[in-house]
Amino acid sequence: MLNILVSIKQVPDTTNIRINPETGTLIREGVPSIINPYDVVALSLACYLKNQFGGSITVITMGPPQARLALKEAMEFGADRIILLTDRKFAGADTLATSYTLAETIKYLERENPFHLYLFGKQAIDGDTAQVGPGVAARLKVPVITYVTKIENIDLKEKIIILHRKTEKGVEIIKAKLPVLITCEKDLAKSPFVPLSEILKAVKSEPEIFAADGPVKFEREKLGLKGSPTQVKKVFTPELKKDTLIYDLSTTSIDEVVMKIIHILEEKKII
Amino acid sequence: MESYSFDVVIVGGGPAGLACGIKLAEKGVNTLLIERGRFCGSKNLFGGVVYTSSIKEIVPEFPEVSQSPVERPVTEEGYIFFSTKGVVKFFHTKSDSQEAFTALRARFDAFLSEYALKKGLLIAPKTKVVDIILENFKVSGVIVDRPRSFKDLRPAEVKAKIVILAEGVNRLLTEKAGLVKGPFKPEEVVLAIKEVLQLPKGELEKRFGLNEKKGLAAELIGEITSGLPGTGFLYTNTNTLSFGIGIFLNTLVNSNLKPYEILERAKAHPYLHELLDGAEILEYGAHLIPEWGLQGLPKLYGNGVMVVGDAAGLVNPLFREGTNLAIYSGIMAAETALEALEKGDFSEKTLKSYEERFKESYIYKDLLLFKNLKKFLLNNRQIFETYPNLIYEIFSLYFSAQGQYKKEVVREIIRTIKRKRGLFGVLKDIINLGRLFW
Ligand SMILES: Cc1cc2nc3c(=O)[nH]c(=O)nc-3n(C[C@H](O)[C@H](O)[C@H](O)COP(=O)(O)OP(=O)(O)OC[C@H]3O[C@@H](n4cnc5c(N)ncnc54)[C@H](O)[C@@H]3O)c2cc1C
Repeated sequence: MLNILVSIKQVPDTTNIRINPETGTLIREGVPSIINPYDVVALSLACYLKNQFGGSITVITMGPPQARLALKEAMEFGADRIILLTDRKFAGADTLATSYTLAETIKYLERENPFHLYLFGKQAIDGDTAQVGPGVAARLKVPVITYVTKIENIDLKEKIIILHRKTEKGVEIIKAKLPVLITCEKDLAKSPFVPLSEILKAVKSEPEIFAADGPVKFEREKLGLKGSPTQVKKVFTPELKKDTLIYDLSTTSIDEVVMKIIHILEEKKII
Repeated sequence: MESYSFDVVIVGGGPAGLACGIKLAEKGVNTLLIERGRFCGSKNLFGGVVYTSSIKEIVPEFPEVSQSPVERPVTEEGYIFFSTKGVVKFFHTKSDSQEAFTALRARFDAFLSEYALKKGLLIAPKTKVVDIILENFKVSGVIVDRPRSFKDLRPAEVKAKIVILAEGVNRLLTEKAGLVKGPFKPEEVVLAIKEVLQLPKGELEKRFGLNEKKGLAAELIGEITSGLPGTGFLYTNTNTLSFGIGIFLNTLVNSNLKPYEILERAKAHPYLHELLDGAEILEYGAHLIPEWGLQGLPKLYGNGVMVVGDAAGLVNPLFREGTNLAIYSGIMAAETALEALEKGDFSEKTLKSYEERFKESYIYKDLLLFKNLKKFLLNNRQIFETYPNLIYEIFSLYFSAQGQYKKEVVREIIRTIKRKRGLFGVLKDIINLGRLFW
């Protein structure tokens, strides 16, 4: 029996999102929120593993009240318990405060029945930091394996997992002792064909609500804006700098141009 | 193994299905509504204008609701006749600004479904009904495109005492239930294409002469459809415009024009070109409008089954009615279902009272009144080709009459009419149009 925890985030559907040309802000009106696509992979993996090994799935998220919809949708993947961390005091959290809040919640949840696997998406599409999963792992003091692309085997008796992880150079095949926290790449698991039974369960479900003052005991100053040293000053798309020199062959001779190019390349120590 | 059983299963979460579901849920009937979209309205589009009176039938507090599902009140509505040279506008300012509102389906239907959920309706999204279950000549449930469970991959069955088909214009299940023979023909539907446009900030109010409490709904006739039988529409939403064109599918096919070409041509008309200058296209979509009318009306009920809204073809294009008729028919089906549940009889005999309710309503009387309209429009192309141009010319003469003997102007107008259509032709058209309704 596998006891699985999945942590998800509700994000705006960026495939539909537009920037208001007038104000430069995101137009969120009418843009439906979705579960972060990499978290959907985590849920899919959880669903697949539960069906293979038996066990249970607990899903948590921190967010505004409407994030309950993301959790309800998570029920479709066969979740057994869904928990929403929502409170004004959680708001404005950066990755440090978020990983603290999630980690404390997870510790609380596994008091009696520890999790074997903690599944996170590799990153959230609205922030792209990829820090929350590893941050939680550090606080839980469990190994973290990021960018996992494949689960090769799980041996529940020996408590061993063998998996593939993507790196810049290639694939690492890792054997680890459970429990581990993994962050999911997009090819790790296909979305399941959700049966009607789960759709109906999802519709009828409501998440348990956890607030700042209970049931988990938090240190106040580590929550939300207070616990977040990161301050966002400005959000912008970096400009691609291209220093382009254009020589006009109708006014400059080809020999001259070639000499100039060689000169520049030498100057930059390229040749 | 999971097995499902409900008193009523509704197929489709448009206004018809949701109205029906709200009424049943309010009475505590064990009802499941199945919608294939991610949420109600997510896959749908319409013009569109909705009418307060019909919405109040299911949401009595409307329009005083916390999260408004509508865009702008319609305070000005009318027609714009397009000639090659220019336009003639014919507008009416409404005295009651709460009577009608522009709306977008993704918000409107989502609102109704939230409302229905609060009333206790169970809605299964992302699920498509692929077939109906027939047992002993009685519809006794539906089959969906989802497996029964993670382990049992056979398509799930949902049993029901009554199935209500609110599947919209593409009424495949209504066909499967034997309530209508074969698919609709191209001349029985209008293909509508629509864009949601965003003008630069502040331009919408400026160009249409509105403030934020005012809105406009215009029907566009003439050159706008390249003279093909059909009309265009232009409605103001809160921050966007709904612009589109609807053309009878058969004439569209024969014209060899692609739908987007017609839309592009329309937007190139000088009047619209200026009005829509700088607009950004936020959405683009197409949808059919059922116009089979009384001739193509399916049987509205069978053993264990009823059909409502667009699936039955309940629209009145001339008066922009569709959403409201969907709502009314959904309510009538719900009333009938309640009756049947009380009796414990779901056969045709009991469900026939849905048809009786329908026949007493103005929907049926209107369908009767307009039963020859479609044929008339298809056979009298001059309505779309000649008249808009004629109207423009007449007004041109009238408004440039200064400095002329006015009798001469009148003569010129008459000459123009003679040239364009002939007095005989005009008279014939008037009589024919009149005969439609008498
Ligand atoms: C361009 C355009 C402009 C219009 N303008 C206006 C207007 O201004 N005013 C007005 O009153 N009306 C207007 N209408 C008409 C109006 O939109 C329709 O009459 C009305 O939406 C009909 O409601 P309905 O519930 O019967 O069908 P729909 O709104 O079509 O709803 C059907 C629902 O069923 C779902 N569905 C279908 N098949 C299945 C299945 N097998 N399983 C599960 N779910 C299924 C669909 O996803 C959909 O949500 C317009 C229509 C168009 C196309």
